[in-house]
Amino acid sequence: MSDVLAASPGSAKTRRNPLTRDLLVRWSFMLPAIILMVALLAYPIFYTLDISFSRFEITSFGAGEWVGLENYREVIADYRFWDSMKVTLIYLVFALPIQVALGFFIAYLINAPWAGRGLLRALFIIPMVVAPVVAGGMWRMILDPLWGILNYWLGLIGLGPLDWFGDANLAMAAVIIIDTWRWTPFIVLIATAAMLALPKDVFEAAKIDGCNWWSTLWSVAVPLLVPVIAATFVIRWLGAVKMFDIVLAATYGGPGKATGVVNLFIYEEAFRSLRFAEAAAMAVIVLVLTMVLTGIFLRGSRKLEEWF
Amino acid sequence: MAFMSRTPARQGVAGNRVRIAAGIAVSVIFLFPVFWMVLTSFKHQVDIFTNPPKFLFSPTLETYVEYMTRADINKRLANTIIVAFGSGVFSLLVGAMAGYALARVRIKGAATFGLLILLSRGVPPIALAVPMFLVARKLGLTDKHITLILAYSTFLVPYVMWLMRSFFVSLPRELEESAMIDGCSRYGAFFKIIVPISLPGLISTMIFSMILAWEELLFALVLTNRHATTMPVAIAGIAGDTINGANWAALTAVGTITVVPVVIFALLVQKWLIKGLADGATKG
Repeated sequence: MSDVLAASPGSAKTRRNPLTRDLLVRWSFMLPAIILMVALLAYPIFYTLDISFSRFEITSFGAGEWVGLENYREVIADYRFWDSMKVTLIYLVFALPIQVALGFFIAYLINAPWAGRGLLRALFIIPMVVAPVVAGGMWRMILDPLWGILNYWLGLIGLGPLDWFGDANLAMAAVIIIDTWRWTPFIVLIATAAMLALPKDVFEAAKIDGCNWWSTLWSVAVPLLVPVIAATFVIRWLGAVKMFDIVLAATYGGPGKATGVVNLFIYEEAFRSLRFAEAAAMAVIVLVLTMVLTGIFLRGSRKLEEWF
Repeated sequence: MAFMSRTPARQGVAGNRVRIAAGIAVSVIFLFPVFWMVLTSFKHQVDIFTNPPKFLFSPTLETYVEYMTRADINKRLANTIIVAFGSGVFSLLVGAMAGYALARVRIKGAATFGLLILLSRGVPPIALAVPMFLVARKLGLTDKHITLILAYSTFLVPYVMWLMRSFFVSLPRELEESAMIDGCSRYGAFFKIIVPISLPGLISTMIFSMILAWEELLFALVLTNRHATTMPVAIAGIAGDTINGANWAALTAVGTITVVPVVIFALLVQKWLIKGLADGATKG
């Protein structure tokens, strides 16, 4: 409403200008972004689609003859693709809830009122700006079975040394640990902002009503935080499906293919084996699945908001 | 609020102390790996492979001197700076103008484009890497800085656009209206009035974009091979080598060079970074 009122001086001015010129000026703000996204996002996606339905010609290094669904049939019959999808799924199922829960819990801890609170909050940015590939390499060293400091400490309490990168399950655990280390601070940050924005009076009321800490948490704080928790989950999901750097640096998919996430597999197929057509078909499948699941999560988070 | 900061009553000072102590402990745990990497980078080779691990040792710059000259680290560092700075500036210009268009310039259909651009956050980069590589190869654009800068704009422009949109919406409308009544053009109002006021937001957004470009790996791996390779590619190479050679010294030194400048930058602008990130996440 106020928009319309506020707009009137501006539109009075535009009437004096030639209409087309003004329209051009208006669009010129949006146009660079649109052109860029069409050229660098939309076009590549269509090109991927094109390749995925064609035979790839190594000689011309481009899409050749149209072969319909052949590449898709081949990919769907390829157990290695499904293995990498399974690895990705396991990673997501563990990493996402752990990171979201841990992030909110740590945000609660580091926002205890005391003089050093601001410092802790600032220091928590550090893991977040460590390049994922550095994080992978760094943790590779820390988790090393012979010389790694974590194994030394685990040995002191009688738990190790663990062969983090030799055992399939431990390697997956290592990847999740590294990813959690790298990304939880990001969730801590969002959670902090959300917690500080909580309305005070509700908590006062709960206190007057004699709620204890636990019931205040579950019947007041959590319901108020549900929208943010859901949004955090969706954002973290959008980042986690792109998982590539950490795995590449820490395990390179090993041992065997135990941590070979789908992005790494597609990368290998395309740029090591030069099977671009199959890689494109897999990329399209991943793209569609990601979009569908993102849509479902967005809808789910909206439903969740309505409930509370 | 009571739940966040309850000190008195039942829980009492003791409960708060436990919370503070746990908070400090968690922070130490999260910072330790970076500390350990930086520490290791100043060790002599013999001090790296010890059991128990050494906290005290005579420091050396051996590794740095060796790897700055060998392995072309200087050149890769320069490439990373060029690409990060280029993508930061370029994406900020394009993204901020689009964000402004969405926030203030009423144009039909812009919102649809805005939504489409936002949706692109769901596109896995691997789906773009294959065609980008093929097209860049065809146009003779592989291994050039500009290629990486353009490739990075696919995720930076949507990010900047959305962040700056929410920033511009929060500015009072009277600002550019009075400017335009005073005879400023739309561009004049944007560049002379809006941009200076939004400078802190713009700069923090640009710094965050630069950090994202600085640490990107997949596109850099695919689109460069010698002249324009960046630090993450170098690290991926060294980390790949450790499977055979365990070249930890190189890994820690190159890792430190990659991480420390970004950490310093991030801490300098942490107030804005925190606000920008939190806003981008919750309002986006």
